[in-house]
Amino acid sequence: MSKPQVLIAANPKNGIVWSKEEQNSKLGAVAEVLELTSSSREEFYKDLSSGGKYANIVGIYRHNDSASAIGIFDKDLIDHLPKSVKYIAHNGAGYDQIDIAAATAKGIEVSHTPGAVDAATATVGAFLAISAMRQFYRAEVNVRNGQWKSGLSPARDPEQKILGIIGMGGIGKALARRLIAFDMKVIYHNRNEITPPPDFPCTYIPNVEDLLKQSDIVSLNLPLNDKTKGSFGKKQFDQMKDGSVLVNTARGAVVDEEALLQALDSGKLFSAGLDVFPDEPNVNPKLLQNDKITVLPHMGTETRDSQKKMEILVLDNLISALSGKGLLNQVPEQKK
Amino acid sequence: MAPKVLLMGELFWAGPDAEELLGGIAELVPMESQSREEFFQDCAPGGRYSDIVGIYHEHLSDKIGAGYDSVGVKAAKARGIGVSNTPGAVDKATAITAVFLLVATMRRFSWCEANLRAGGFNPPGVEESARDLSGKTVGILGMGGIGLKMANYIRPFGCNLLYHNRRPNSLAPPDVKYVSELYEFLGQLDVLMVSIPLSEKTRGFVGVKEIRTMKKGSIIVNTARGPVIDEEAMIKALQDGHLGSVGLDVFTKEPEVDQRLKDMKHITLLPHVGTENQEARRKMERTALVNLKEFLTTGTGPNLVPECQ
Repeated sequence: MSKPQVLIAANPKNGIVWSKEEQNSKLGAVAEVLELTSSSREEFYKDLSSGGKYANIVGIYRHNDSASAIGIFDKDLIDHLPKSVKYIAHNGAGYDQIDIAAATAKGIEVSHTPGAVDAATATVGAFLAISAMRQFYRAEVNVRNGQWKSGLSPARDPEQKILGIIGMGGIGKALARRLIAFDMKVIYHNRNEITPPPDFPCTYIPNVEDLLKQSDIVSLNLPLNDKTKGSFGKKQFDQMKDGSVLVNTARGAVVDEEALLQALDSGKLFSAGLDVFPDEPNVNPKLLQNDKITVLPHMGTETRDSQKKMEILVLDNLISALSGKGLLNQVPEQKK
Repeated sequence: MAPKVLLMGELFWAGPDAEELLGGIAELVPMESQSREEFFQDCAPGGRYSDIVGIYHEHLSDKIGAGYDSVGVKAAKARGIGVSNTPGAVDKATAITAVFLLVATMRRFSWCEANLRAGGFNPPGVEESARDLSGKTVGILGMGGIGLKMANYIRPFGCNLLYHNRRPNSLAPPDVKYVSELYEFLGQLDVLMVSIPLSEKTRGFVGVKEIRTMKKGSIIVNTARGPVIDEEAMIKALQDGHLGSVGLDVFTKEPEVDQRLKDMKHITLLPHVGTENQEARRKMERTALVNLKEFLTTGTGPNLVPECQ
């Protein structure tokens, strides 16, 4: 009896990067592993069709990098997947590049990688919060330009300020723990209050507006989906405290970018720390030219350590499913 | 007539505090001497500052701060002049700066941000050099007020914490292990956080031997004083890759910074802004004023530097 086929749809050049060993020995023990060679969506559709090399695949290891070759897993692509596909194991906690409804309609189960991303992403959030408050980007530019402190004005400290977390999931909690150490007070909004409460002092705020009014730093830690897309806009910025800071390590598209630019221009925002943008890798030049903010190119989990953790978790999800034990981290929308 | 206190510096944030603390006790006289010679004349008998009883001093190219290496402490003590500084006031702000440098260097964020702003995105190869903080060993050299704060700030990032000090500090939290032997300490580290004061004994303390004892690819963060590290040895170690990165808020000849450092993309540099924020600045100024008030009213002060005690 031949092994089920699994397609690795990851980086078009390198495939899985840090876990080739485990790909061969662990996944290879329970599956026949195929690497994505299609260089366009059209070619991919041909490869998926009857007689094509991926016509019988049962599982897919998916990384966002595959989008540069075959595009995102929207309804169209999912509808082209052969009937044999049962599992899409996604590398990433955020899975906005996969149309879950379309997958569910075809009986395809989808997993993601929560938990594995928490520490590294929360560290980015903490970094952005400190850098925005203390104006460290501008300070570093000054050193490298030979200007030392010239033109710098004293900045602000997170100490005793209020951190408002929108989305108290794994990353939100990890961020709270880091910033509480700096004497920040944590308030949070979540779809539901967390019970039992987290193991650190924090206050649940049922109404987002109240959270925005009280926060010195607002951190976005919620997933991107139809409900949250563009949900942080002019209304929300107007409700924020004057001179507050926005940190976004969630998804760029959660924020209305025009409203963000307005809030920065008007001084409503003292600063911002952004790791994500609506159309990566393209970033609005107005943000890139603003030296009062701190920006990073989606570095949330860009370390060999986190990348490996995530790759292994995706492989483990596939191995578990193929062994009849089901996916380990099926996405919440499909778990009923 | 109230005794005169010479104000050598500027009160940016603590003007009202000056009124509250010294009003009725002393008169603050701004220093107007334009040169060292003129200042000596002004202090001589008959000069306008000949009767001052205290000085509020702020080092002109640095700040009041906790570092008092710019004050001739031995000479002051010999003349029966007490010197105080402002420890405590700087601890949190400096410790936060140190943690910022820790994260920035481990994750290579300066390189990332510069690359993004120049029109790129993830810098090529950054995944290989950038590391998670979780599980990495961070060593604090100097467990004073700032070192203690650093330990508490670093803890939630999941690092393994060690420290080395002249003597164990009873205030050190139990999860920060004391390592008495310097080279045994250095050899275990992924990151060295330098937090010792500059003195004759500590100039060049972190030199070639110390740097080469550290693991290849390790990182040094310095928020203490530039000259504590042998800068030339550090630069060589960066150039040959022995050190993976450095995070520096201080340099040997501020405000000058070695061009070779300025040209390195994979390190993080700040212009001695450890305490450059409103809250810390005000605390420092106020502490110095409180020190003066205590001297004037009781004859002694709460923050006499160790050498003067």
